This record gives sequence, structure tokens and C-alpha cells, in this order.
Amino acid sequence: MPLAQTATSVPVTVNDDLCIADKGCTVCVDVCPLDVLRIAEAADGSKTAYMKYDECWYCMPCEADCPTGAVTVNLPYLLK
Amino acid sequence: MDEILDGLTQIDCDILVIGGGTAGPMAALKAKKKNPKANVVLLDKANVKRSGAISMGMDGLNNSVIPGYATPEQYTKEITIANDGICDQAAVLRYAEECYGIIRELDDFGIRFQKDQNGEYDVKKVHHIGTYVLPMPNGDTVKKALYRQLRKARINIINRYMATRLLTGEGRVAGAICVNTRTAEFLVVRAKAVIMGLGAAGRLGLPTSGYLYGTYENASNSGEGYAMAYHAGAGLANLECYQINPLIKDYNGPACAYVAGPMGGYTANAKGERFIECDYWSGQMMQEFYDELQGGKGPVYLKLNHLAEETVAEIERVLHIVERPTRGHFHAGRGTDYRKQMIEMHISEIGFCSGHSASGVFVDEHARTTIPGLYAAGDMANVPHNYMLGAFTNGAFAGMDAADFIADVDFADFDMGTVDAERTRVMAPTKRDDGIPPNQIEYKTRRLVNDYLQPPKVTAKMELAQKRFEEVREDMEQGMYVRDSHELMRALEASTILDCADMAAAASLYRTESRWGLYHNRVEYERDDENWFCHTILTKGEDGKPAHRKQDVKPYVVEIAEDEKDAYYKQRVEPSVAAE
Amino acid sequence: MSALFEEFDDIADLAEGLDDPSAGARIMAVIDLADSADPAAIPYLARAIADPDAGVRKQAAQALTDFDGPETAAALVQALSDTDMAVIEAAAISLTELKLPEAGDAILPHLGDQDEIRLTALLAGIKELRRPEAMEPAIAALSHSAPAVRMQAVGVIGWLQDETSLDALQQAATDPDTQVRRTAVAALGFSKSDAARTALMAALKDPEWMVREAGAETLAKSGDASSIPALRAVLDDDFWQVRLKSVRSLGKLGATEAALQIAPMMDIPVPNLRKECAAVLGELAVKETLPFLEKYADDTDPDVRKNVRWAMDRIAA
Repeated sequence: MPLAQTATSVPVTVNDDLCIADKGCTVCVDVCPLDVLRIAEAADGSKTAYMKYDECWYCMPCEADCPTGAVTVNLPYLLK
Repeated sequence: MDEILDGLTQIDCDILVIGGGTAGPMAALKAKKKNPKANVVLLDKANVKRSGAISMGMDGLNNSVIPGYATPEQYTKEITIANDGICDQAAVLRYAEECYGIIRELDDFGIRFQKDQNGEYDVKKVHHIGTYVLPMPNGDTVKKALYRQLRKARINIINRYMATRLLTGEGRVAGAICVNTRTAEFLVVRAKAVIMGLGAAGRLGLPTSGYLYGTYENASNSGEGYAMAYHAGAGLANLECYQINPLIKDYNGPACAYVAGPMGGYTANAKGERFIECDYWSGQMMQEFYDELQGGKGPVYLKLNHLAEETVAEIERVLHIVERPTRGHFHAGRGTDYRKQMIEMHISEIGFCSGHSASGVFVDEHARTTIPGLYAAGDMANVPHNYMLGAFTNGAFAGMDAADFIADVDFADFDMGTVDAERTRVMAPTKRDDGIPPNQIEYKTRRLVNDYLQPPKVTAKMELAQKRFEEVREDMEQGMYVRDSHELMRALEASTILDCADMAAAASLYRTESRWGLYHNRVEYERDDENWFCHTILTKGEDGKPAHRKQDVKPYVVEIAEDEKDAYYKQRVEPSVAAE
Repeated sequence: MSALFEEFDDIADLAEGLDDPSAGARIMAVIDLADSADPAAIPYLARAIADPDAGVRKQAAQALTDFDGPETAAALVQALSDTDMAVIEAAAISLTELKLPEAGDAILPHLGDQDEIRLTALLAGIKELRRPEAMEPAIAALSHSAPAVRMQAVGVIGWLQDETSLDALQQAATDPDTQVRRTAVAALGFSKSDAARTALMAALKDPEWMVREAGAETLAKSGDASSIPALRAVLDDDFWQVRLKSVRSLGKLGATEAALQIAPMMDIPVPNLRKECAAVLGELAVKETLPFLEKYADDTDPDVRKNVRWAMDRIAA
């Protein structure tokens, strides 16, 4: 029973220029009640937060607690 | 992160608090305060900083019993009436007597309650009889303030561990089995007392948007408390009394009539007229809401467009900053404006939550469950209509009582075989090469909940649900497949959700009468006080399936006169379907 | 396995991060210091208020919300002079979260500051600390040119509930700014004096409805029946909101003489007002109002109907 690769738009976006994951910041990943954010490491070694799982309650701690204002919570398309 | 590791650690503590949302932190603080030597551990599957129903805050208290505005007796009376009489009053009365002390404590924590221009509590009148609403202007800082207190008290906090089963032995609680949500490593916690504050079963019904996480409750509250209590053998009360709430359609967040109400806003039908007869937030009120939606007079709206610009701006400030701040984004995206038009409302998917109803793990006025040493508080315990302040207050009761309980006991022995069996159960989806992902198991369960369990309740439909749930269970146990530890957490939640769905169906079939308005509107039965003026207690039967018994409602400590019981029915124009 | 429990690190160790050359790392150090909830972190956060990077300074101002006392307040007061608006805003919010009266020691000496933004924040910060020494500078601030300052000054005075401030509040009740007047009128509620009542009755003639509304609501607080004629005079106010509060206050004061004036207001097609009128007619229980109520015993609005029937029961009893 192979698994499909179905695309889905995710509600949380991160501005890479503002994100300080490089400096060890994991605030947004830490505070998410549903644990859907992760830190991605690019080929050049730079790091940035991103939404890995589309399981969002659009509650906003990630946006509110981000020290640099890099995170934006949009409403999931299905209910917006 | 997220890879599946093999590991098992065991730790000991005096009191294990599971759930770091609202009731849990207060329980931990109170236990530690009463017994500073006690080793108190607070565990959460998320991060205590931002976990639980009030993750982003809360805009106000809607059940504050403040001297001068309401009395504990009056409050107890109203809650009894709102719950159609089925209520052990001792727990409600104790809450009502002690919640003011908790308000003052929260105030000391730095949580602000609205004060007038002279610095006195600015209690708002919403309910017909008593006055209980107290807005919280900096309600967005609640979790921060709680976390600060936990750190100051040096409570041991464990984040990102999900408790999956309770351990019992010697006829009492012995601890809990937990799994790391990011590594799948196991943690066995031996404890002399366990306090559960795991919140509502908020992912039971499927929201109309179809988005699994677009729920009324915080979607991380998937009902583990109910499932764990069930498997440990505790009694659960009145689960047929579902939670269904009015909400902003699609956004699925609370409409907060109790914020807008004192400022002149109200719920209206398509003609812009008020239609809700009921004075209490109750199943009766939801029945009226449902009737209006279904009866051709809908849609139903939140009406603020008759208010002055200045008033609307004030309401917006509260509603869009605190509790669910994305609500402002939602209206902006839709181009809807409270000033210009009414905002469409709907009713929520079903769930279990005593915050707004009366179901949950059975507890007494000390937050004790039917298992010695095991406590429950907040949305998952059956103290009716306890909302956020009830979670704090009953959490405090649990913490204080547990501190006494551990003084006289040692760890209870338990069977290590239980741990091995649980590891096998939990890890099964990681041992397969392919299969059904947890989101599909969950979606199907919840879709069936909507199809067959949502009121009005029909016997044949609920029996069909049970049959289909069994099929899903078979698929889940034999074929669920996960690729990482995050998916494993979702798989465990899917299993919990299915347990809750089973309990919802079984409990609803057992009570062969209609009660609590829409919450338990069984179309084939009328209200039947003679046979059903009682709690229904659901436990796990010998056969591993839900078993039921009736339990007397304890004699009232606050008398309700006959004419008070139906004080408001008399004022109706015509009775609605469930007003019997 | 990573650390099981949240850690209680040594504050000095956490503070080392404040010397990191990268601003991002310093922000993280500030967050860790805040999470410690340990007062030993305050001096380090106070130092971070002077960090070269505005992002660090903002985070430090925010972090100080988790602490209290004069040292915290002093650091926040310092942050109010920052060059970056985001830092100032964060500090202003944190100042309002102070609870310990002694934190006021660091605010009081600055209440003579004439800068609008700083003085607004300082007054908002001292308000809930209820320091009597703030009365004099608050009264002085009532003549500041900025309405935001005057508004906060009224707040400070109102919370002190001191009869000697009545002249000042009465003055503020005639302020050119609507919000200041509205706040001052509500702040007069603590006093049962003639002076307060005179000021409140004057507010009923204010050109702005929100001030009249506040006046009508506050007049019931003293429980003095001498304000009844003035309240009756606004029962025909252009704004239903004002009429509603006046009706409510007349009910609280037991103004039976107003009942027949309130009763015909049941005909006004504003649901909120009709509901309030019915409830108050019940409280006043004047038999002659019965015909006005009977008309609406079957009103389609449930809130109106319920209150009408309740009122009719009261009158019958």
C-alpha cells in the first residue's frame, strides 16, 4: 500500500531573512502546541524554521513569541 | 529530530501531574506549596509555556463568583438548573466558595482582571440572575504568568512527553507510561499520586471546514485523559452530555457573546432578531440555536452592527487580541466588518468537555476520581460548566488533596508486563513497512462521528457507528503505519479519538431519554426523570468494552424550589422540541 | 536521550550569552534569562537594555515583564528613552505589568518628565501601584497638552480614591478631550460627595454621548436620590445608549416617580433599550405601568418578553 505525495499549502510562513535559527533560536518550534514546526538546514549550512506538518490550530504562539517577527500565521486555506 | 529511537527510562516522583495547560500548573503549584519537600513532576506532550486550551490566553472569566455580585448558593442553583438537575452540588458549591481566592491569587501572579476607573473589579452582567463575567484585559499573558510561577516554585517540568496509559496496582494509581513525541523513547514514571489535567476531547467531531485541526478546542486536546482514565478502570460520568458550542462559522473559534453581550451585542437570526430563550449556556440554548439554523430562520449571526463605532472598536480590541488572535485576520480575509454586517455563526462539532457541559471523568469535591490516588481537574473532569476558572480552582483542590494523600503511602507495586504490553501496542505502527497513515484513521473516525453520533441522536445510526468504529479499530490495530515519531504521536491520538468515539456512542445509547437539550437529544425518547434522574457511569467492562451503571445524584445541599426549576420555561412563547 | 527536565541553569552562565558578538545569540540569552524567573537575572537584563542592537533591547524590555521591583522598574524607565520605538513600546507594556508598590520608587522621580510618550507610560505604570506620592504629579499632568497623558493622569487619580482630588477630577470632567472626560466621569464614582454628584450631573449635558453615558451610569453608584431629576432629564437623549444607562440607574436608585416616564419607552424599536426598560419597570414595580408592559407580554424578542413577564409578576406580587 504505497503512500501518495499530495501537495498541501501550509498556513505558517517564515521570513528567512529575519529568522535567527542560525543562532540557535528554536522559540517557534518550542512553543507550538501541535509541534508542527522544525528547523531546516540548507546545503550552505544556514538554518531556518519552517512548517513541516500541516496540522495547525492557527493559535499564534509561534508568531507572537518569535523574537524577530519572522513568523506569520495565516489561516489554513480550507477554512479561510 | 523525529527519528524513532529505542529507549526506556524510569523515574520516581511523589506527584505526577499530566497536562501543563490550566488545571495542571495550578495543581503542581498547590501541591508543592502544601508540601515543599514533595517531588512534583509536571508533564506535557507540548511545551508548558504554551500548552492547553488557553495557549494564547483568555479574554475573561464567565463564572466568577465575587462577593457582592453573586453568592455561592445562587451560583450552585443556577448551575444545577443549567444541567437539568443532574449535578453533585458539593463540588460546584466548593468551587463557588473558593474561586474568589483563586482570582486573587491569579491577580498576584500578574494576571489582570478588569477594574473600573477606581481600581475595583468591573464585573459585567450577562446571566439573567447572577453576575459572573469578569473580563481580563491582559488575558494574553496568562500562560506566561503561570510559567513564571512554575519556574519560581522549581517544579520539575517535562515537555514533549505524551502519557499513553496509567499504571495501577494494589487498588490504586502507581504511575504512568509516557512516550517522547520527538524520539519515541519511553518514560515510565512511578508516582504515589497522579493528577490528570489533559483537557477536552476536542478532536472528536470533524469541523465543517473538514480541516482536522480546525477545531473549537485546542487541537492538541485530543482526549487522552478520558482514554487513560477508561483503560485504568476509572468511572466516567454522563459522557452522552456532549459539548457543542456556538462559534464563528468556518473560523470555528468562540463567538464570545459574553464579551459582546454586556456591551450590547447579541446572537440574532437572519432577520436580525434575538431568538435565544434560554438564560444559561446549556444544551437547551444549543437546541434553540440548532432549531433556528434548521428551521428556516437561519443563518444565525453575531450582531454588533447596531452598536456605535466606539463600542465596536472596544469589542474588537478584546476579541482580536486575546484568546484567538487570528480572528482579526479571518475577518480581514473575508472582508467582514462587525460595523457593516452581522457575522455568520454556526455550532461546533461535538466533543467532551466539562468546561461547557457536564461530562467527564467522575470526580468529587476534592477532584478525586474513583481510583485512589488518581485525580482529575479542568475540562476532562465532570464538575459542570467549570470553564477556565474551574480548571484553576479544581486543579488547586487536586494539588492540595494529593499532597495529603502521598504523606501516608509508598509507591504501589505494578506489573512490569503492563509496560511491555504498552510498548508493543504503541510501537506497532513503527514495525510495519506500509499501511494506513494515522491521519486517515483519524479522519474516518471523526467523519463517522459526524455522520452517526451528532445530535439529534438516533438509535439505529449510533448502532451503525459502533459497527463502523469496530472496522476502523481493526484497521488501526492491524494496519496503521507511521514513518517518524511525530506521526507516532498522531497515531496514539487517533487511537484515543477512537476510544472516545466508542465511549460517546455507548454512553448515548445507554441513557434512553432526552436531556440537556441538544447535547443528548434522543429523538425516540422524552425526558424521563423517573428512570434517569441519575448520573450514568461508564467504565471499562470485563470484556474490554464500555460497561454502564446508574449512580444517584447526591442530595442537594442548595435546595431548588419547584417554581425555580422551570422558572424560565413559563416564559416561553411555545416550547421547542426538546423543552420537555 | 536529551535532558528530561527543564533545566535551572546558573544565571551567570546564561548571562555569558549576552557577550556573544551575534545579536541573535544575545536575544536567545535574554529569552533564557527571562525563562529562569530568577530575580538574579534582573541586573543582566538591565544591562541588555543598553545593548547596541535594538532587537536585543526590545527583547530585554519584554523579558523584564517577568520580574518586578524597583530594579526592574528602573531598567524599564531607562528603556523609555530608547531611540527605537519598538523598544519603547515594549518597555511601556512591561511597566503596566508591575505589581509591587515599591517598584514605584523608580518611577516617582520621573513623573515630572514632559515627554508625551514617556510620561504616558510612566503614569500608566504607577497607576496600579497606587502610590499616594503620585497624586501631585498626576494632578500636574492634567494640564499637559497631550490627551494621552491627561487620560493616564486621570487613571492614577481615580485609583487613589482620595477625596482631596475631587477638584482635579471635576476639572478633568470638563477636559477638551472626550476620552479624558469619560474617564474622569467614571473615576468620580468612588465619591459620595455633593461635589462629585454636581460634576456627574453636569456630565449629563456633555456634547459627547459617551460622556453622558458614563455620567448616567456613575450617578447610581452613590445611591443618592437627589440625582433622579437629572437622570430623568436624559431619558429622551438622542442616543439610546445614554437612555439605557439612565434607565438602569433610575432602577438602581428606586426612582418610582420615573416609572411612568420609562414605561412608554417600551415602544422604542431598540431591542437593548426595551429589554432594560422592562427589567427596570419590574424593579420599580409601579402598578400603573402594567398596561405598557402587557402590550409586550408576547413580544417576539425573547429577552424583552422574559423581562416583561418577570416585571408583570413583580407588580402582581
